[in-house]
Amino acid sequence: MALNRLFIANRGEIAVRILRTAKRLGLETVLGVSEADRESMGSEMADRAVVLGPSPSAKSYLDERLIVHAAKMTGCDALHPGYGFLSEKAKLASLCEEESIIFVGPRPETIDVLGDKLSARTMALQAGVQTVPGTDHIATIVEAKHAAEQLGYPVVMKASAGGGGRGMFMARSAEELDISFGRASREAESAFGDSRLYMERFVERARHVEVQIVGDGDGTIVHFGERDCTVQRRYQKLIEEATSTALPSRLRTKLREAAIRITSFAKYRNAGTVEFLYDVDREDFYFIEVNSRIQVEHPVSEEVTGEDLIARQLHVAAGKGIGLSQADVQIRGHAIECRINAEDPFNNFIPAPGRITAWSPPTGEGIRLDTHARMGYLVPPFYDSMIGKLIAKGRDRSEAIERILRAIRDFRLEGPKTTLPLLSFVAAHTDFRENRITTRWLEDKGLPAFAGA
Amino acid sequence: MTENEKKMSAIVKPQDIEALIELFEASDWDEMHLEIEGLELFLSSDPKARIAVQPPHPTVAHAPASAHPHPTIPQGMGHLAPPPTPTQEVSSVPEGCIAVKAPNLGTFYRAPKPGAAPYVELGQSITADTEICLIEVMKLFTSVRAGTVGTIREICVNDAELVEYGQTLFYIETA
Repeated sequence: MALNRLFIANRGEIAVRILRTAKRLGLETVLGVSEADRESMGSEMADRAVVLGPSPSAKSYLDERLIVHAAKMTGCDALHPGYGFLSEKAKLASLCEEESIIFVGPRPETIDVLGDKLSARTMALQAGVQTVPGTDHIATIVEAKHAAEQLGYPVVMKASAGGGGRGMFMARSAEELDISFGRASREAESAFGDSRLYMERFVERARHVEVQIVGDGDGTIVHFGERDCTVQRRYQKLIEEATSTALPSRLRTKLREAAIRITSFAKYRNAGTVEFLYDVDREDFYFIEVNSRIQVEHPVSEEVTGEDLIARQLHVAAGKGIGLSQADVQIRGHAIECRINAEDPFNNFIPAPGRITAWSPPTGEGIRLDTHARMGYLVPPFYDSMIGKLIAKGRDRSEAIERILRAIRDFRLEGPKTTLPLLSFVAAHTDFRENRITTRWLEDKGLPAFAGA
Repeated sequence: MTENEKKMSAIVKPQDIEALIELFEASDWDEMHLEIEGLELFLSSDPKARIAVQPPHPTVAHAPASAHPHPTIPQGMGHLAPPPTPTQEVSSVPEGCIAVKAPNLGTFYRAPKPGAAPYVELGQSITADTEICLIEVMKLFTSVRAGTVGTIREICVNDAELVEYGQTLFYIETA
């Protein structure tokens, strides 16, 4: 399939990122923008920018019919959805298919199967990949104790019919099970008219790890190592790293194999990320979900592999396969990415759109900045608040930390309030440096310490 | 945080700016210029408009990319040369006329179906309810009404051409 002219159905830094690679590869580019982004950096970079609709995303970036119409009428033969917006909507992928436009991503059916948590979980189990271990319905305390011994304490019991935490309890021992089991059944009965409970392993201390893969659509998968995105606030990632040095190396190998097993089973096409929960105490990992798009944090994988993942996506989309084998992927060094958002970390992260009045980004060895912002840029109030991603690479994790810290502190950015002060605080914190954090760390310990600093 | 910034954030919150932008968008104003204790807010419906605080950024010309044949390209879409932007047209609004702009991106049709007579011709008198063209998005056709009483003075787009959101379709001379 010929791929000559690419439509980019996104905005902000990822539009600029895709444009950079597309132009390097000699493709013609068309960017669909909203009214608010008419004068954006992406609009200037693209061979042509078309205004889809007014500023609110619902009337521009989230209208798949407008987007595909624009792609068709400007003679594009492929469409890159970026991340967010419509990137994981099967309807965009199928609309492209109907119009003979190559969708730079998985097949619509794959997006559907993986987008549903239950069907994705079933697929993982079929592929022999472990999800959080649990049981079927448990009727008696004897059964419960037996199951808990099999799973290992601590365990959590939840109501089958449940939700909202009712009928749910955590137990660290057989005694605690004894105390809570009867009460939980009665609570479930009165809340839902159904007393049935089931049990899962309770992961007290977790890390978020994920594997970057690219598939050819026929079952061949190449991985680009794993990332660690444990610094989170309300499931929003703030800092991401590649690789995950918190995992023992034998587990990292197993993790990458598991990611390949499930995506190969799905005959996954294009770039994707397989997310896992890592249980720090049990040294075990469980499948969570597959993100069927390029992710915000893809640059850290690019930095440690020397690969251009957008180019790899376009290679697969052009029908030329992955273009390299696993042995070609060499992982060297360590990379860290910080998300710079126009949010006020001193005031409950309220969005802080506004015009950038001073802009002097850091430079130096191993420093990369992916951004659409510049001096005078107005962060619009209509979209997510990301200003850019600052990435540092070093020979090892401690060198990468030193470099990102210096880069954050050297970043002169005035106008909107940003997350830079918090990023600097976290990167300098002993718990982060010693890699002792969990997914609860930022909210339970990091933020209170930051507020008190 | 500088003293000035502290002062500003105390007076104007992001929500306020958002509300102002919404207010501006809903209005028919061309410009809004607001100064509150060191904060300067400048809104304009003209994307080329600038105030002094913002440094001029380089204008990158949209170089027409080379045409290449594509079997699925509808007529007239072979190259990437963008149509004149609405901003360029604003400066040339004919005397006593108002512009009818595209409500969204789509394909512009002058007639209700192929071969039929156009909805309107140059010099034709129209009322606010007169249908003047169709905009198609993926086989969904939406008619555009004149919105004002007057006379069609200019038809700015060729039949079956792609129009962008906000692009001027017609100039109507108001009575």
